Amino acid sequence: MGNLLVNTRDQQFVLFEQLKIEDLFKTERFKDFTKEDLLMILNEAEKMAVEVIAPTLKEGDKQGCRFENGKVYVPDCYHAAYKTYCEAGWIAAAEDPEVGGQGIPASVQFANMELFGAANYAFCMYPGLTHGAAGLIKNYGTEEQKNKYMYKLYSGEWAGTMCLTEPGAGSDVGALKTSAKRLPDGKFLITGTKIFISSGDHNLTPNIIHPVLARIEGDPPGTKGISIFIVPKYRVNDDGSLGEFNDVVTGGIEHKMGIKGSATATLNFGENGNCIGELLGKEREGMRIMFQMMNEARLGTGMQGLDLGSAAFEHAVAYAKERIQGKAIWEMNNPDAKSVAIINHPDIRRKLMWMKCHVEGLRSLCYFTAYCIDRMHVAETPEEKEKWEGFLNLLTPIVKAYTTDKGLLICSTAIDVYGGYGYCQEYPVEQYLRDEKIAQIYEGTNGIQALDLVGRKLAQRKGANVMNMAMLIQQNIARAKGVPELGKYAAILEEAANACFDLTMYFAQVGKSGDFLIPILYACKFLEIFGDVLLGHFLIDGACVANEKLQAIYEEKKAYSIGQKKALEREDKEAAFYSGRIASAKFFANEILTTVKARCDAIKAGEKVPLEITDEAFTY
Amino acid sequence: MNIIACVKQVPDTEAQIKVKADGSGIDEGGIKWVMNPYDEFGVEEALRLKEKFGGEVTIVCLGPARAMETIRTALAMGADKGIHIDDPALYEADSYATAEALAAAIKGLPYDIIFCGQRAIDDDSGQVGSILAELLGIPVVTMVTKLEVEGNSAKATRPIEGAQLVISTSLPCVITATKGLNEPRYASLPGIMKAKKKPVDIKNAAALGVSGASKAKVVKFVPPPARPPGKIICADDTPEGKAAELVKLLREEAKVI
Ligand SMILES: Cc1cc2nc3c(=O)[nH]c(=O)nc-3n(C[C@H](O)[C@H](O)[C@H](O)COP(=O)(O)OP(=O)(O)OC[C@H]3O[C@@H](n4cnc5c(N)ncnc54)[C@H](O)[C@@H]3O)c2cc1C
Repeated sequence: MGNLLVNTRDQQFVLFEQLKIEDLFKTERFKDFTKEDLLMILNEAEKMAVEVIAPTLKEGDKQGCRFENGKVYVPDCYHAAYKTYCEAGWIAAAEDPEVGGQGIPASVQFANMELFGAANYAFCMYPGLTHGAAGLIKNYGTEEQKNKYMYKLYSGEWAGTMCLTEPGAGSDVGALKTSAKRLPDGKFLITGTKIFISSGDHNLTPNIIHPVLARIEGDPPGTKGISIFIVPKYRVNDDGSLGEFNDVVTGGIEHKMGIKGSATATLNFGENGNCIGELLGKEREGMRIMFQMMNEARLGTGMQGLDLGSAAFEHAVAYAKERIQGKAIWEMNNPDAKSVAIINHPDIRRKLMWMKCHVEGLRSLCYFTAYCIDRMHVAETPEEKEKWEGFLNLLTPIVKAYTTDKGLLICSTAIDVYGGYGYCQEYPVEQYLRDEKIAQIYEGTNGIQALDLVGRKLAQRKGANVMNMAMLIQQNIARAKGVPELGKYAAILEEAANACFDLTMYFAQVGKSGDFLIPILYACKFLEIFGDVLLGHFLIDGACVANEKLQAIYEEKKAYSIGQKKALEREDKEAAFYSGRIASAKFFANEILTTVKARCDAIKAGEKVPLEITDEAFTY
Repeated sequence: MNIIACVKQVPDTEAQIKVKADGSGIDEGGIKWVMNPYDEFGVEEALRLKEKFGGEVTIVCLGPARAMETIRTALAMGADKGIHIDDPALYEADSYATAEALAAAIKGLPYDIIFCGQRAIDDDSGQVGSILAELLGIPVVTMVTKLEVEGNSAKATRPIEGAQLVISTSLPCVITATKGLNEPRYASLPGIMKAKKKPVDIKNAAALGVSGASKAKVVKFVPPPARPPGKIICADDTPEGKAAELVKLLREEAKVI
């Protein structure tokens, strides 16, 4: 039995067999790594996830966070786990050695993060936000700021946040009211209220460093006038010791549906006129700077969909093999037939298959996106760098929105597999669903992500990013068409991909002619279509790799008939694994990709019912 | 202080063990290999002593090429160097031949204390530590749950039925570790990267001057008989009724009371 969180064999498949990340070791940046090192790191990550983090899942949910006498307390069990996690050096794993990291590839760090998030996502938000805040200071901070804050963040000694949202500024960050007043020494007096701030206050670390978006007095309204400030909870003396309280007062914490172990705080900056912030980067560049953290956080939030979807799927398979209920379909009319495990029922098998192909496809999609970061880092020419960066930009809103939309459905389907027990707290799947839901909302709602995709990302670099992606998919289709076992499914992918890129062109055309209502109205639908095509692509690409290996195993073990092959799969875990990867591609193509063209046509039909209906007609 | 920790690579406790069709051994396909959990306690204790008194921790491991992973894990936890005894002549070594090879590897090294696990969770023989001590001519305390080292001697606590035994011994000695001794640390990421540069000496039987001859020979591996299906007692749905039925079955069918 596996670890019930993540199929580590599939992780290795994506990293080493599909993406072939060993190619990275040929580059200067990663020349010190071997596959063995990375396997050892993944193995340690699994241990950390299973032995240290997973035990905090249920207890953290039950106890939740507390707000007492102005102070926020995390679940008790988080303390020891946080310490062990930080001591092992996971926060900065993918950072350069100069800042205290180990410089491991981002693609491998994503695999580590998947394990941690599957164990307890709410817990992972504390180190996750800390990593993001440290990254901002690394890229935009002065030497002094780095020395003061960055190292202590990367080591986990202090924690970080990201402070954008205000009561009147949610999706529209530009509407924020928090203000910054110039002080004679070059620092700023910060005043304003931020809400929904994850890890905004807690007792895991002695200090918390807040990157805060605010407007310097006199600067223009909207996003153009926003600057970003480093605002510590406690001021930091020149020798690094903690100084005075910096007037960041916690107003309270939210009572939420899920991620109950993650404190979501209201923070009042400068209630007593005594909150000091340091400018990070240049004035009025706050949005551009914060976007670095937001893009990282969007990928991290996308991973939340994969993490919890994976854990829900692994649990559902194990449960379906154990739960005895009902008779096998072929014994329907036999009153003496024994009841069977529910995995024998066709509908349960279809549900599990649906979950399986999505989890595996999402894993490939997410790791590929991280691999783009690695490729960017090692690119030898500016063109090559642009290509990989282009993929990253294009894929970020898709990873965020598509992965979390599907992740939620996977969690929901896991509950269906469990039946009534799945709805009860005795089993973990109901918590997975509750913990997962927020991923569609924060870091920019999935609706906003879809607008980012159709409004900005498609047209970036004059559409070159989309073209490159289309080419990658075409190459894969051409290869898969030559594989007898997969040709049929490659043809389905081809039809879907053509329809999707046709629709993309259509959006570009109507956009140019000034009629962007259709792209905006159907942005979410389009994002889903794009995601489906990408998943189909990655699954068929994976199936080509798996098929080669499987045929070699058949050959070696002399399995020629269907009977011999099935018998082999029952004995040989590798054969079963590869065969499962091929099954995922076939199932996804037939179940999902066959519907893509019809969905594209429906959008092109140009119906605008939701826009035409009057507000009054929505309900009585 | 010079500290030696002996480690063995064993199948993960969760691994499903299948006996090869010809009974010559177990099928290693698909098995996940880990450091023997009792050896982890030994490595951890060795590292704590090093942190307290300074010195060096040397890992000694007998096993095939894959066992290098386990040595690297111990190095990543913080040990300083390793000796990997790798020789096909020793792959089927019994407790004696194993201890003999370990002793040969350790003999030439400076050591104040040697840690072993109280047993390996694969073959469960629990003899290597004691034989090793005998071959080196030093004392051994087995099943240790607490250890205090001072100067040239150590006080070791081991459980006995219903009580604790505190044994004091001179150094050097062999300590076999068991659960309760400590909480083994996790290998840190910096530790993993540093481990790459730490030296590991690979030695074969000839280099150690041992023959590898075992005193015991494994004749055959046989899987345990499949467990007969359980029985659910439901004669009567009250606890009293079920208890009566259980007693009846235990007496008449199982004949255990
Ligand atoms: C648990 C939790 C943790 C959070 N953590 C953080 C954090 O750490 N830091 C932080 O800064 N914020 C955080 N947030 C805030 C979060 O990012 C916002 O809630 C989110 O961006 C949406 O803003 P809103 O809630 O004001 O919703 P609104 O902006 O009011 O949106 C309501 C609905 O309208 C839609 N909508 C709004 N504008 C448009 C538009 N122009 N076009 C189409 N649709 C639109 C949205 O998609 C959404 O469906 C957190 C929130 C929660 C619940």
